[in-house]
Amino acid sequence: MIRLEDVSLVFQGGSVALSNVSTQISEGEFVYLIGHSGSGKSSLLKLLYKEYSATKGSIEVVDMDVTSLPSWKIPLLRRKLGIVTQEPQLLENRTTFENISFALEVLGFDEKEINEKTNTLIELVDLENSMYKFPNQLSGGEQTRACIARALASNPLLLLCDEPTGNLDPDLSIQIISLLEKINRAGTTVLMATHDSSIVNRRKKRVLQLSNGKLVSDVEKGRYI
Amino acid sequence: MKKLNYVIKNTFINMRRNPLLVIATMLAVLVSSFLVFTTLSARAIVENNTSRWQNGVHVVIFLDDRVTSTAHKQLQETLENYPEVRMVEYFTKSEAMDEFKILFKDQPELLQEVDFDILPTSLRINLNNPADYKLIIERMEGNAAVKEIRASGEAIERLLSLTNTLVLSASIFAGLIGFAAFILIINTLRLTAYAKKKEIKIMRTIGASSTYIRLPFIFEAILESLIGTSIAVGLGWGFIQYSKTSFIADSIFDITISDSYLTNLTLILLFSTILFGFFASFVGIRRVLND
Repeated sequence: MIRLEDVSLVFQGGSVALSNVSTQISEGEFVYLIGHSGSGKSSLLKLLYKEYSATKGSIEVVDMDVTSLPSWKIPLLRRKLGIVTQEPQLLENRTTFENISFALEVLGFDEKEINEKTNTLIELVDLENSMYKFPNQLSGGEQTRACIARALASNPLLLLCDEPTGNLDPDLSIQIISLLEKINRAGTTVLMATHDSSIVNRRKKRVLQLSNGKLVSDVEKGRYI
Repeated sequence: MKKLNYVIKNTFINMRRNPLLVIATMLAVLVSSFLVFTTLSARAIVENNTSRWQNGVHVVIFLDDRVTSTAHKQLQETLENYPEVRMVEYFTKSEAMDEFKILFKDQPELLQEVDFDILPTSLRINLNNPADYKLIIERMEGNAAVKEIRASGEAIERLLSLTNTLVLSASIFAGLIGFAAFILIINTLRLTAYAKKKEIKIMRTIGASSTYIRLPFIFEAILESLIGTSIAVGLGWGFIQYSKTSFIADSIFDITISDSYLTNLTLILLFSTILFGFFASFVGIRRVLND
């Protein structure tokens, strides 16, 4: 599903975000990407959906060679991915239902499909009671769940989550993780960046740890030490 | 098809966001297009008229009646031998009277008052090249049989020069307003794009292509420009139709312009407007979408 080989990312000005990272993630895995702030977690995720381009090395995501991917093919890659960011990116003037259906509209589904699929996604993330609420009427956890639902609109093969529990309290964080595990059990590969040690230690999943842009450990059923 | 619906819907949503700027843009395009349309039409009308005049009589030599008709005939023969001259017509007093009566048939008082004896005989000269009128004047100066020389070429030259100046001035003005319209479109699109920055970011994340994201902006720019130009062209056609029956038509100008010329001009303007809108949208949102 994901293959990184000797990947480095150096920003203009010389600051090194990632250095010689190599790893593989197979289909159906649930992997935590951990590390302190500035360790390179977000940069690595952004490389995977081609928001950034690697300075060195090769990257393969969902059978696409991301390293040499021309810009006009980036949308094709992203339609195979679901992306959830730390700050819930919801449109303020649209309800939860509309925020989710927006993705389906953009992807070209017809109205009937949009309604059916949006309802299914809302049910999946358990937001039936908040579907007609606007983002400012939702709790942090609900906003994150709405974002996850939207990210699932394209039936992604891989879900990339960049600290989705970063702004949530422990209980809400657990709810989000349970939801992601449910999605993973349905067949979607999940790579989640986090620096929340309590979650990582409790769930006993594969853990990749970054430190100063280097992959320092890759442990099955790992812990955040 | 579904995507097209989205694009069209968003084009109108975008336009509703900044109504005043949208109206200002349309007005600027309207004024600019109207200037271009009327200026080019006016030039075509002037060219029609001047070419008609140029095909007619270019120099009129009024003859001194005190000189014998033999001298008049000799002068006619001399003129006919000049290589620049295509044709010389001898216009008698009685022909001058007939022409006068036709020209002033609406003024019976004048016809009653005038003494037709004062109308001179004349030689009406048609040149191969109307620009050679000066040559004829030079050669005829000092000739005892010549009373006065009038050349239409001079008037035509002055008219064409005036027309060219007007066309140039109007073109510069139209260009400036067109540039203002261009800036307005860019600003309108940028304001919309900044207001929709989050939406654009989400669309990119979901996997919408750049073209798909750009299309509502491109449609908006083209639509605003096309509305402005269409109104301008409509006003231009109306103005020309009005001119045909107004006091302007009673002047020396013949307000005739072919429908095919106007149709071609309309199509060229509309096509240019589409390119203009496309280019303006490209410049307007390039930076915003690349962020």
